[in-house]
Amino acid sequence: MLVLKYEKTARACFISHIDLLKHTERTIRRAEIPVKFSNGYSPHALLFFSAPLALGVSSKAEYLAIDADMSASELLARYNTSCAEGLKASKVFECSKNPNLQGKVVASDYIFPIKYHDIDLSNGFEIEYVRKGETKKEEVGSKIFAVKNVDGKLCLCLATGNTNLRPDRLLGMLNAMFGANMKATDIVKVAQYFKVDDRLIEADEYLDNLE
Amino acid sequence: MQSFDDKLNSILLNVEKPARYVGGEWNTPDMTKHREGDFCFCFPEVYEIGMSNLGVAILYDIINKEPGFVAERCYAPWHDMGEEMRKHDISLFSLETRKPLKDFTVVGFSVGFELLYTNVLYMFDLAGIPFRAKDRDESYPIMLAGGPCSVNPAPFADFFDVIVCGEGEVADLAILKIVTEGKKQGLSKSEILARIKNVQGAYVPALHKDGETVVKAVIPDFENAPYPEHPLVPNIEAVHDRATVELYRGCASGCRFCQAGFWYRPIRERSAERCVALAKEMVESAGFDEISLCSLSTSDYTGLEQLEEGLSAFCKEKNVNLSLPSLRISSFKPEMAKDVKKNSLTFAPEAGTQRLRDVINKNVSEEEIEKIAVAFEAGYESIKLYFMMGLPTETDEDLDGIVEICKKLKWLYYQKRHKRGLNISVSCAVFIPKPCTPFQWEAQISLEEMHRRQMYLRERLRAVKGVSFSYHGAETSVLEGALARGDEKLSYVVEKAYKLGAKFDCWTEYFKWDVWQKAFAECGLKMEDCVGAIDTDKALPWDFIDTGVSKKYLLAQRNLAYQGITTKNCREGCNGCGANKLGRCTIC
Ligand code: SF4
Repeated sequence: MLVLKYEKTARACFISHIDLLKHTERTIRRAEIPVKFSNGYSPHALLFFSAPLALGVSSKAEYLAIDADMSASELLARYNTSCAEGLKASKVFECSKNPNLQGKVVASDYIFPIKYHDIDLSNGFEIEYVRKGETKKEEVGSKIFAVKNVDGKLCLCLATGNTNLRPDRLLGMLNAMFGANMKATDIVKVAQYFKVDDRLIEADEYLDNLE
Repeated sequence: MQSFDDKLNSILLNVEKPARYVGGEWNTPDMTKHREGDFCFCFPEVYEIGMSNLGVAILYDIINKEPGFVAERCYAPWHDMGEEMRKHDISLFSLETRKPLKDFTVVGFSVGFELLYTNVLYMFDLAGIPFRAKDRDESYPIMLAGGPCSVNPAPFADFFDVIVCGEGEVADLAILKIVTEGKKQGLSKSEILARIKNVQGAYVPALHKDGETVVKAVIPDFENAPYPEHPLVPNIEAVHDRATVELYRGCASGCRFCQAGFWYRPIRERSAERCVALAKEMVESAGFDEISLCSLSTSDYTGLEQLEEGLSAFCKEKNVNLSLPSLRISSFKPEMAKDVKKNSLTFAPEAGTQRLRDVINKNVSEEEIEKIAVAFEAGYESIKLYFMMGLPTETDEDLDGIVEICKKLKWLYYQKRHKRGLNISVSCAVFIPKPCTPFQWEAQISLEEMHRRQMYLRERLRAVKGVSFSYHGAETSVLEGALARGDEKLSYVVEKAYKLGAKFDCWTEYFKWDVWQKAFAECGLKMEDCVGAIDTDKALPWDFIDTGVSKKYLLAQRNLAYQGITTKNCREGCNGCGANKLGRCTIC
């Protein structure tokens, strides 16, 4: 199993997850990557994606596992000559088994382009957002795993996967707290984390060491 | 100040499917190359539909292949995006470089359907471009229209500076060059238009004199004509999201109601070798997982077997599906059914009885319908049947014939498969008399009669188990009929309807019948008057276009129709329609 780490930036951040699946299948076909297909009535390429990214949010750390027999470096090179703008891959990992990206990734770091502030989460963190025209309130303190300072900017580590917190849902609250005017397209995901024995391990490190 | 991209980004977060508006598709041509002149192709429908249009893809490709010239695209923004753009004062822009339409050298609309006319104005409106050519000076781009509706441009002619009648492959680029050159030389708009008038197929309403003829544009060498081997790959799933190969233009069948069949003459086939090469190149460059063959009657294509042979190994190796649409019964071969996925058969007898099929020259006989049994043997379990109602001379007996065909198919299925369970879906459109057909003078049945016949058929089909029935909106058919053969006055109706709130008329949920009725009334017209029979010696608004097919031929065909006499397929020999004066028909 080969795992690509790729970005989803610029115009590509507006491509939905469903459409991304189709895009990637086509990229793989253009790149002549010998991906394996499932058996059955309508075979599909064996591609496994990390959890969907909220529409509009960019990422420097998306992952895609590909079941194909070829060298890792060649996969990276071929993928990059055939992928659309904003979807370039930066790294490739060789894994002996499917890393189960959707199931095992539990957190992601997002950078919000405002000055770093320590946010006190001891009393929880209530957000308000609009969903299908309805304003909703939700207590999300338990889904914010860490408040970090990355190069002076605010970085939040948020629950990803089965328990999920969309970064854009925090915007209303953060903008109000810090007098900012950020929107979803300003947020960048910079890392994903696997959970191993109750510990969060950064995805690159995890995939590098996956037996 | 907020940059344009910033402003746009915040809007995109508020609309459905923002990927419709961002461009950046794979295979986008180089937008940074030197540009002397540029052309924005506009398609008056949403992205997913517009991106499926082969005509636009061909023309876009031709201009971008030309050194010094660039083509970009723009589709009709969906309601939500249109509103956001207005709110934030954003003028309609191209997808590739986000350039306002106003700033292009030429803006060209592909108009493929009468119910898109209001969307054309919607896009003009969002672009800040005055609707009527006479209200636009040199500061605006030359506004051009083309596409299938150019067969009768009268209802929208006043909106445009030039209308390309026929094939745009040569004309569009020639016009772009003339405008670019003219602007460089500082010529006035009318001086530029005078030059455009010399291009074959170019109709310039402002300079058109009574009695002048516009000869339909036909590309000289269809076989080697440029083709988008490196097609754009849609950002979001398009209606036809696959490699499309155009096998031939025109149609040899000569169905008397079919505008495309006459308009796209002369009949020119592309060789199977070239089609195979194009299909492979498209799949490799775009990564599509499906190839579709496009032409008016694909299964009539001479090189079909050769083509399937040439592609089958390739498709297998690449996991690509080859789909074969619009089969005609008379050309159904059991081999064709063998390998294709056995989802559903599609057949279009168009009329329920032999008598009426002879009238419309749909050469499908009862024996041929019986041949469908072969497909049942091959494993098919469902079939889609396409019919038309309201055809000239139609009676209830012909509608009963549709029911009989369904019963017959069920019986055939039972004979072959020894079980019941055939699914039949019957789809019935309403006949619309269209320009450039032998039925261009016919009356359309009234709205009430459409409703009655729809109910009549529905009742009778209900009694046949396993048959589902769907039919087109009668109201939209009346409007389509009125616009199809309309004259210049209709442009005021279209403008009025748009101002009263009509747009996206093709979408049932947005079609506003009351608005259209009001628009006709306010212009002092009655829709019913526009769909009646036309005297054969009356001048028609599209008479000035020489389509190759003579009016005499159409009249003769009409007479044959009334006598129930069929005309042979052009593949068996030329019937002398006249189209070959514009280019050789390669099939006989
Ligand atoms: S010129 Fe002859 S062969 Fe060609 S379309 Fe007309 S009738 Fe058919």
